[in-house]
Amino acid sequence: MQMFLRHKWIIAAGLIPAVVIYTMFSIYPILSSVYYSFFKWDGFSPKQWHGLQNYINLIEDGVFWQSIRNNLYFVLFSVLGEIPLGLYLAIMLNGKLFRKGGIFRTVFFMPVVISTIVVSLIWNMFYNYQFGLVNTALRAVGLDHWAQNWLGNPALAIFVLCIVVVWQYTGLYMVIFLAALQNVPSEVLEAAELDGAVGIKRTWHIVVPIIADTIFAAVVLCISGALRAFDLIYIMTNGGPSHSTEVGATYMFTQTFSSMKYGYGSAISTAIIIISFGLIVLSQFILRTLKR
Amino acid sequence: MLLLLLVINIYPLLWMILNSLKTERELSTNPFGVAREPVWSNYIEAWKVAKLGPYLVNSIIVTLSAVVLTLLVGALAAFFLSRFEFKSKGFLLVYFTFGMLIPIHATLVPLFIEMRSLNLMDNRLTLLLPYTAFNLPITIFILAGFMNAFPKEVEEAGIMDGCSVMGIFGRLILPMLTPALATAFIINFLNNWNEFSFALVLINDGALKTLPLGLANFAGQYNRSYTLQMAGLTIVLVPTLLFYLSVQKYLTAGMTAGAVKG
Repeated sequence: MQMFLRHKWIIAAGLIPAVVIYTMFSIYPILSSVYYSFFKWDGFSPKQWHGLQNYINLIEDGVFWQSIRNNLYFVLFSVLGEIPLGLYLAIMLNGKLFRKGGIFRTVFFMPVVISTIVVSLIWNMFYNYQFGLVNTALRAVGLDHWAQNWLGNPALAIFVLCIVVVWQYTGLYMVIFLAALQNVPSEVLEAAELDGAVGIKRTWHIVVPIIADTIFAAVVLCISGALRAFDLIYIMTNGGPSHSTEVGATYMFTQTFSSMKYGYGSAISTAIIIISFGLIVLSQFILRTLKR
Repeated sequence: MLLLLLVINIYPLLWMILNSLKTERELSTNPFGVAREPVWSNYIEAWKVAKLGPYLVNSIIVTLSAVVLTLLVGALAAFFLSRFEFKSKGFLLVYFTFGMLIPIHATLVPLFIEMRSLNLMDNRLTLLLPYTAFNLPITIFILAGFMNAFPKEVEEAGIMDGCSVMGIFGRLILPMLTPALATAFIINFLNNWNEFSFALVLINDGALKTLPLGLANFAGQYNRSYTLQMAGLTIVLVPTLLFYLSVQKYLTAGMTAGAVKG
């Protein structure tokens, strides 16, 4: 439009506040993280050029690899737990039976809005050895020997945390899928039902292809969400026992702010970014091939 | 199956609320049932020892100021990105999308250093800017997505009436944008209200701590007094739930309308 071309400077002025704030406090930190990762630095005294040494140390650091493995468990559990469960809930709630059942939607989405700190503290008590619900229930049905310190067992703790993550975020994917399903003409879904395509079969052949794009977007969201896990672990186990629940973010945090290794912490940050984007690209690639 | 999942969703919260009214002794002997004699004093004590009052005030100030700034700046940016054609538009859209994928914890160290060198540590502005920066992408996408559906005639009518560009924005677009602004407001509010890691790293002054930070400290100090912890958590949980229940219609409706069209 003619009139708008004359107002280029207005366009610029309108966009500048957003671009400046976003660049300064979101993009610039990422770039400076890459920069700091080449230094040996305690955060206060002058920086020492360290070249690639931080990265070499990182590759040889067993705890780092353990933390990445735990991050991958989180991603795996989230993608394989939250997305199918969310899809199941969405399909159920989109059916005739629950069209008016707003209460289900309300309750399933509820954990998403609660602060992760509150969720972590609640589940900490839930898993408590002495009075926690899990152990009390096991003792009540005579499985006393199964009762244990769930978060204190290095072999189990990470999976125990994964359950909390799935509990907290499934509702988010339910709402996303519900939104997508509501754009699908109900005749399509009903016709599929009449043709005998019910249950998993119907879901896989009819529903999934129709909302495939939404599922792709949800998988990306889910991966980046799972890699962001920090608050939950920081509160529930702080990476312990003996690093068994360490993830990239908690390891970065302790290395930087407790051990005062700013350069090394920045190298971990950079590695997290690279791995995150690597996983997102990889998942897109896999999903695209699956689509064909 | 659905009912079972419903119970799994709601039971942990209910369990905590029920137990917050017990004595320590009753919690260990009767962790399932309702308290025989509700100990309301848990709440009074939790409120006092956890210093929930001051933390609440801090959280309200930080959250609301960041939400207002994000919506103002975000709506303006979304307006130009959605209703105008210009060369860098495609680039800017990708640039902002990128923000939704950034692992925010990777920015903790550099943000800490940046804030320290800008002398912005430990004051009321400290959290405002990062909160705004990290909520801008989703805000811009919700608002721009919603605006894309407005017909072109909106601007044409505005020009006919002799409106300036900002007049079109203020008098025509903003009023139409209300539903999307409501959704963006809620999402921003919840994000900021619940935010923990930036507050953990950037705020050391006890008087400026926000609610999640205060709660984490309290739980750390009183880690043997579970009923007190539960009472404190309930005090924080219940208002969040009430807020959510009162706005959830707009939240899910808004998300359906355009927030998450991938």
